[in-house]
Amino acid sequence: MSPLAIMSTLIDRELRTAARTRSYYLLGLAVGAVLLGLTLGGGGAATGYIPAVVDLLLPLEILVPVVAVAIGYRAIPSDLDRGEVAMLDTYAVSPSAYVGAVYVGRAAVLSAIIGGALVAVGVVVAVTAAPDTGVFATQSGVDSPILFGRFLVVTLLFGNAILAVVVLASVVVATTRTAIVAVIAAVLAVVVGGEAAILLGVLDGVLDEATLQVALGLIPNSAYRGIVFETVVGVLSAGESGYASPLVSAVGLLLWTLVPLAAAAGLLRWRLR
Amino acid sequence: MTDADDAESRSATGDSDGSTSVVTTTGLTKEYGGRPIFDGVDLDINAGAMTAVIGPNGSGKTTLLKTLLGHVDPTAGTVTYTGPDVDRPMGYLPQEPAFRPQFTVSETVEFYASLVDASVDTEGLLREVNLYDARTRRVSALSGGMRRLLAVAQAVLGDPPVVCCDEPASGLDPSMARRVFESLAGRAADGMAVVVASHTLSLVETYADHVVILDAGGVAAAGSPAALIERYDAADLWDVYATVVDPATAGVSRRGDDDDTAERDAAASDPTADSGGDS
Repeated sequence: MSPLAIMSTLIDRELRTAARTRSYYLLGLAVGAVLLGLTLGGGGAATGYIPAVVDLLLPLEILVPVVAVAIGYRAIPSDLDRGEVAMLDTYAVSPSAYVGAVYVGRAAVLSAIIGGALVAVGVVVAVTAAPDTGVFATQSGVDSPILFGRFLVVTLLFGNAILAVVVLASVVVATTRTAIVAVIAAVLAVVVGGEAAILLGVLDGVLDEATLQVALGLIPNSAYRGIVFETVVGVLSAGESGYASPLVSAVGLLLWTLVPLAAAAGLLRWRLR
Repeated sequence: MTDADDAESRSATGDSDGSTSVVTTTGLTKEYGGRPIFDGVDLDINAGAMTAVIGPNGSGKTTLLKTLLGHVDPTAGTVTYTGPDVDRPMGYLPQEPAFRPQFTVSETVEFYASLVDASVDTEGLLREVNLYDARTRRVSALSGGMRRLLAVAQAVLGDPPVVCCDEPASGLDPSMARRVFESLAGRAADGMAVVVASHTLSLVETYADHVVILDAGGVAAAGSPAALIERYDAADLWDVYATVVDPATAGVSRRGDDDDTAERDAAASDPTADSGGDS
């Protein structure tokens, strides 16, 4: 069988597994309720997309990693515990294809949950906010659903980067029971540890204005925040950008997605030998 | 180990009885943390035969199987596969197999069947392992024994030249255990090399073509069941086992192995019991 056909078969199984997992539906409802509650409670729904983004940005920096952990922490350890990975190894299934398929399946779930909740928020804003939110194309300074769409896409990029870290951390440990501990530790190290390192770097004078932009782009949370500030919130206040480099931040999120996945595949290959 | 055992662990390499070796181990050694699991094991796994690996708990049966599969790297020695060049040279039935609980029996087999090039008669396969009537049942609703049967079906999917089965009869009722061994023996008769690690000595004696007894870090005895029984002037394979295996380690085996104990006790208390089967 061609690697593409095998990958397609594995992804199909992951998606069907996700579609049959009831807890994901409950998680989606809970996330939707939280985001809608924050939007309505924060007043964003009544004033427009950008105020809604401002209301949701900080909560999403916490909520997205939590959802990524909930979705991803036991994906591979469960298959290892069941002996399914060892069985799959006797077919022409490479660890890379297996890890990639598991990741794609879980990324689809995360995207559906977070994306679905944000779409619901967007619909509420469209229905309840001031009339000028219906403008789709104009010069800067006007709220728009396009800006909210950008926010949604960037949020999914952030979530899927954290999910890759979760998948890697879950392969490091031996069992499903210990996976949750390892995954939470890894996410805390990346999310909290990264920002703490930047703060210390600034305080110690290690990071100057030029290197700070790069450093911010290389930490998932600050990269996410930076892109949102520069491409969504900052649009309303032209001329005051420069908080972060969207390009460096996008590359940072891409690296936080690809490098952990490659490491997870390599680690799994080593574990099977 | 006697000279005969040494010769027999290399038995039927394709030289003496026309069968063909598909996997050969030479000086196979595995240590964990400096503690040897087995040392210098030389084996030939033949196509068209069932090779049973027996021995006390902790004697290295599972590790040996995983080494054959390439899932465990040996500390020393080599494993050489000389069978046909196919996408799936070896099938595997793990000791405690399980599958995704969200899928039905049919969907599970079809998923694995879709990973092999050959077309697979999944319905026929499910009939062979007696799971056809349960084909629409979710894996989460299967008993442990039925999951093992599903794992047997998965192991032989696509007719790999070699199949390694770790305790294929564990958790099965006697008639189903016999059916699994019959099925594997049938596969062997069709040319597959079947390697079975098992504690169910009565079934091993009935169905295996070649028996390797592991103990004290190596091959304690090897040969066909009949040859071993004759060589050790024993009544059955149980007697061979009791004679060959170090009593100290055998004691460990009896304490930790319900199958062995139950089978032995049943045979001792029932004068009509057939030592060759446990149904």
